[in-house]
Amino acid sequence: MMDCAQYRRSMLADPRDPDPHLREHRESCHDCTLYSERLLRFESRLERALRVGPVSQAASSFDNVVPLRARSRTALRAPAYRKRMLAMAASVLVALVVAGGLWLSAAGASLAADVVTHMREEPQAWRRTDVPVPYPKLDEVLRDSHLRLAAGGGAGMVSYANSCGFRGHQVPHLVLQTDAGPVTVMVLVHERSPKPVQFDEQGYRGVIVPVPGHGSLAVLTRGPATDIETIEHIAHRVLDSIFWTG
Amino acid sequence: MKDQIGGNQKRARFEAMCQSLRPDLLRFAFWLSRDRALAEDVVQETMLRAWKAQDSLQDEAAAKPWFLTIIRREYARCFERKRFVTVDVDELVAREEPMLAAAEGQNLAEMRAALFKLPDEYREPLVMQVLMGFSTAEIARELDLSGAAVLTRLFRARKQLRVLCGEDTSMDPQE
Repeated sequence: MMDCAQYRRSMLADPRDPDPHLREHRESCHDCTLYSERLLRFESRLERALRVGPVSQAASSFDNVVPLRARSRTALRAPAYRKRMLAMAASVLVALVVAGGLWLSAAGASLAADVVTHMREEPQAWRRTDVPVPYPKLDEVLRDSHLRLAAGGGAGMVSYANSCGFRGHQVPHLVLQTDAGPVTVMVLVHERSPKPVQFDEQGYRGVIVPVPGHGSLAVLTRGPATDIETIEHIAHRVLDSIFWTG
Repeated sequence: MKDQIGGNQKRARFEAMCQSLRPDLLRFAFWLSRDRALAEDVVQETMLRAWKAQDSLQDEAAAKPWFLTIIRREYARCFERKRFVTVDVDELVAREEPMLAAAEGQNLAEMRAALFKLPDEYREPLVMQVLMGFSTAEIARELDLSGAAVLTRLFRARKQLRVLCGEDTSMDPQE
């Protein structure tokens, strides 16, 4: 039978090790369950920390990685032609970057607008309360999106949980009771957001943050009382308390 | 004509493979070298070598470890070509700050600074496991170590990282 020290040593070496002996020990030991949850939270932060933003997009063109021999010899022999081609390529690149930027902003804005529209459909979720949603209900809502929330309410007490239709998918819609009042969280595993988006529209203020490998997370409050930095802080607390199970 | 079509298909396949793997390869090279410019050079050179040696890649499913091996060799070659001076970690953190803090909270910036401070022999297997999704056996093969040695390094890496990040380590096991 595995003891706690062996279990924790194995977990520190590989927190996602599916070994049944580890699972067996975890299920029989309260302290090690707590330890695992903390470690998985740390692991989630480590994963996100390692996913630094792209080092540079400039070198990602395939033409930069194909050996010169594979390219047209004419281009290599004619500097003027090459210059013209480079100038044209640069213009195209600039146009692509501008168009891409505009498209990304529009995509982010449109996702935010859809989130806000959805909020208006469930006004009952926003009430201030100290009654948590029953655990089986929360578990059922989160399970389909392959996630769990850390025990202990690090992100705030969950007072509302519903599986909602959003852009053709069922997504978890949660309300957390925080120091800043009720905050809504939507886990949008099917919606990629290339960069964080802030929005303040129709009386709702919030952020959409990318979650590498798991779409994005929308966090918002109602009314002007909460500043955007506080909402961002809550979003990161929520991210830190999520365990992805698939 | 047939040859040209075959060549185009080959090029398209290689291009798709490069584009899908490049972000993670760059991240890996960055954590290996802790230097953005060097990471770009290493990956660029890796792509060239991969293009030349693409016939040796029999199974595209094995592309990730194949590229990773080339990156590690290329990085080692850089060391042979240049004599790197020892750089203070705080200086490195300051230099790479925009990248370390990229659009995320203070929490992650702290974790990234801590990763910079980890010894190379611990950081490398950790990055391979967490970022690249390699199993212990794959890491062992790549680093030419035993599975037990890899697990020891991963254990020490996380243990040190947790201390550097100011985590509560009272429940962490001793070695």
